[in-house]
Amino acid sequence: MSPTIIVAIVVGVIVLAIIGMYNGLISKKNQVDNSFATIDVMLKKRADLIPGLVNTVKGYAAHEKDLFEKVTELRNQVKQVGLNSDERVELENQITQGIGRMMWISESYPDLKANENFLNLQRNITEMEEQLSAARRAFNASVNDYNNGIEKFPTNILAGMMNFKRKPFFELPKTSREDFENTPEINL
Amino acid sequence: MKTVDEFKHYFEKELSSELDRLETPRKRILRLILITILSSLVLIAGAIYLFTLREKVPGIICGVVWIILVVVLGTIISKKINRIKLTYKEGVIRPMIGFISQDLNYHPTSFVSQQDYTKSGIFTQGVDRYKGDDLVEGKLDSTILKFSEIHSEYVTRDKDGKSQWHTIFKGIFFVADFNKDFKGKTYVLPDLAEKWFGGLGKMMQKANLARPQLIKMEDPVFEKAFVVYGSDQVEARYILSPKLMERIMELKKKAGTISMSFVNSQVNIAIKVKGNLFEPPIWSSMKKFSLIEKYFTYLVLAINIVEDLDLNTRIWTKE
Repeated sequence: MSPTIIVAIVVGVIVLAIIGMYNGLISKKNQVDNSFATIDVMLKKRADLIPGLVNTVKGYAAHEKDLFEKVTELRNQVKQVGLNSDERVELENQITQGIGRMMWISESYPDLKANENFLNLQRNITEMEEQLSAARRAFNASVNDYNNGIEKFPTNILAGMMNFKRKPFFELPKTSREDFENTPEINL
Repeated sequence: MKTVDEFKHYFEKELSSELDRLETPRKRILRLILITILSSLVLIAGAIYLFTLREKVPGIICGVVWIILVVVLGTIISKKINRIKLTYKEGVIRPMIGFISQDLNYHPTSFVSQQDYTKSGIFTQGVDRYKGDDLVEGKLDSTILKFSEIHSEYVTRDKDGKSQWHTIFKGIFFVADFNKDFKGKTYVLPDLAEKWFGGLGKMMQKANLARPQLIKMEDPVFEKAFVVYGSDQVEARYILSPKLMERIMELKKKAGTISMSFVNSQVNIAIKVKGNLFEPPIWSSMKKFSLIEKYFTYLVLAINIVEDLDLNTRIWTKE
């Protein structure tokens, strides 16, 4: 085999490896964006449930007016265009806490707990939270995959040239009863 | 749910007398088997002896008598075994299931259909022979469930054209209504490739064309024990919540090798079991508690899946 052919084969293999790595990184990056889009859809669905929940709970726990107003306002805020992802996550986290708090308040109102409309909303919100949690886990799994890709050798060299940066995980606060007791009130 | 101690008490009080009654026909079957073996030995020895003496006709007669004897006694024995099986299933297994739960029905000769088995998608190998028995079905609280023993096999031919049967699955096949609605398919299978080949195994799993995409779960203990494939990354995680993954690990500890699938808003579980369950013993005493205890443990294991996987918690939109 002549040296030219050997060089050509080596170059060919290197080029193929680079193409493979490049495409791998791009699909990992797209996977992250795709997973975030899923979270976004779920968050929007959840936002649609808020007015119904506020209206139902309001009738039973009027003195929690501040909380209802706060949650409604937060919902309007997330609907605005032009929020950066950090601001968005912060607002959504506050909504999660607000909804959780409303659910917790409902525990002290037996009439509310017996309300058919409320029960239905409660089911929908539990469902939404479960789906949101699944979407968040899927997002974090793809971020982990992406971060591994840009940090591991040899893809890290290519990632550096493409200016790919580490992406942060999406953490949502827990909404357990204990958390509410430890979390300061949401004040306007 | 009933404990082994409670069952032991029930066994002594209720089942013992029925098992005593079954001892007589069991001993009769044993005696018949013994007679068949002994008379066969005598007749075969006789035929060989007559042939060595060049007494062809008496030798042939001896052989024919032996064949007739084996056919007649064999038929009688198999009939008697079938009869004792049915009596055992009606008189022992049925009350046992009733003792564990009043809400379940038992059909000794029915089984989970091949259609259910295929739809579950747990096993991708095509089935050539499908058998089963001991179907238990009913509704526990909000959850409809059924399970039975299943034995599925496929056939290959060797060089001489002889067929060879290979087991795909043998054990308890469980189907229940899942507590969440979903559209896609998610498979939770024993992680053999990764266990044997490590990172290379993971790559093999990714390239598995028979399955949808590989889904990496966050729980390292779960991920080590199982490989998850699913049509949707988010839906697989919606089904396999962190709590459910823990519960599946607990179930695996009790049941051994399990494979699962979540399809059509149903959960399917295949629990590998060695040997045949819920059959009367022929070679040992009917009253042997260890055997009955084994059957009881498997029944409780299958029925408890509803509780173990918390299938009755219906806080999501599915009622």
